[in-house]
Amino acid sequence: MTSRLFSPLVLILVLAFLIGPFAIIIAASLSAGETLAFPPQGLSLRWVFKVFEIESFRQSFGISLFLAIGGTLMALILGVPASYALSRYKVPGAETIRTIVSSPIIVPGIIVGLALLRYFVVPFNTGILFALFIAHTALILPYAVRVVSASLTNLRSDIEEAAVLLGSSRVGAFFRVVLPNIRGGILAAFILGFVTSFNQVPVSLFLSGPGIRTLPIDMLAYMEITYDPSVAALSALLAFMSLGIVFLAERFLGFSRYV
Amino acid sequence: MFQNRAEAFALVMPAAVFAGAVFLVPVIILLSEGFHTANGWSIQAYIDFFSHSLNQAVFFRTLKLAAMVTAAAAVIGYAAAFAIVNLPAKGKGRITGLVVLPLMISPVARTYAWLVILGRTGFVNQALVAIGLSDEPIRFLFTETAVFIGLLQLFLPLMIISLISALENMPRDAVAAARVLGANWLQVFTRVILPLTREGLVIGGTLVFTGSMTAYITPAILGGSKVLMLETLMYQRVTVANDFVSASVIALILIVMAFSANLLLKRLATARNKR
Repeated sequence: MTSRLFSPLVLILVLAFLIGPFAIIIAASLSAGETLAFPPQGLSLRWVFKVFEIESFRQSFGISLFLAIGGTLMALILGVPASYALSRYKVPGAETIRTIVSSPIIVPGIIVGLALLRYFVVPFNTGILFALFIAHTALILPYAVRVVSASLTNLRSDIEEAAVLLGSSRVGAFFRVVLPNIRGGILAAFILGFVTSFNQVPVSLFLSGPGIRTLPIDMLAYMEITYDPSVAALSALLAFMSLGIVFLAERFLGFSRYV
Repeated sequence: MFQNRAEAFALVMPAAVFAGAVFLVPVIILLSEGFHTANGWSIQAYIDFFSHSLNQAVFFRTLKLAAMVTAAAAVIGYAAAFAIVNLPAKGKGRITGLVVLPLMISPVARTYAWLVILGRTGFVNQALVAIGLSDEPIRFLFTETAVFIGLLQLFLPLMIISLISALENMPRDAVAAARVLGANWLQVFTRVILPLTREGLVIGGTLVFTGSMTAYITPAILGGSKVLMLETLMYQRVTVANDFVSASVIALILIVMAFSANLLLKRLATARNKR
């Protein structure tokens, strides 16, 4: 049968196409030469070390980290109560609310960024960093609501009703019965939000000011000026970071169950 | 189900008000800007936008590239998903993991890799010159081909995973039964596999099409100002010319096209299923 030979060949080609470029990026970042090239001109770690010496990368990494952690926490603070209400209460206009909350996922990010710059940052004179924080929170909110809602749907609602019947307050039942049971979903939402925010480009495109830009935007700017392997080295480092997070999440949480 | 309305509102409102105030309102104002002229409301900005040949070219290029990437992803996606579904359980999980892996990595890094591969001193050019197929490096970067390859690599995983779950939901024996009854592989695909996995194809297709259409990073890095797509054109209009009216027009075009692609594909899926 032809497919005996055909299937493995297809898989090898597809995986080479999807994964191969990373192997090449890793190789290029280990180059000892001055310009980006593959195969690398000699082996060295100089570009990997160079990444940590570039001041603007250090700064924008800090900003991206702050946005990814802060924005995701904020999205969860807003999203967990909303998901809880949508799954446990009869909320009038529930569908409309769902649409509003998940709208940031439908509208292309570049439009969100420009809209915030023009009608939020400028008129209210908020700083760029605050606008970035708001934008990233809005962007993560749909993911937070979706993942947390899914774990709430899987959790039977009679256990918290039982807690209330046995004398617990509604708030107490939420914190002592519901929350421990949806911990996994919340953690999964956090990881998904973190990775989404950290890798996000279009939303942050217009939201950059002097000294304040996210890491991916900074990388794009650096690439336009310099053609050395430091961006390759940084890309490789970031890829390992993302993979490390996802690997740990899968190992200890069974991350893929939630997303 | 709890009935207390006040509690429900208190829980839901912060998220809804936040998304509405910081997201919906600014976006709606931005979209309205394209219809607002000195003498009241009009669609003049849209007529002006489409009367420029550059804008037309960018519009059609964006549609064309998104359609080509979707078609290529569908063809490769079926082959890959079919191969993966037929693997033994352990290998299936591992290979699926490898397919999904790139989705977790920064699209900037993923696109940057193609600079190393397709650049003047890149891998492909060195190989071509070394083998003697070409005397001097060929320019791959800043061509539609480069953008096509970059977009395909970015979005192919979404198509493959959509098709894997569609193929897994297909009755196990359908293909074998069709073969026994004398269908050739083309007939098996068009009469059995395609109708039974149409929904997965539609979901994957929508993700790939809207993703490619609204991509920024890939055309920015691999296309530059030679191969503008709608989002890179929008960025250029704003940063180079402070032209917020064109930006608003492009924003609405992107939103309308994304929504219509969704609706059209949804309708295609349900129309076929009714038969």
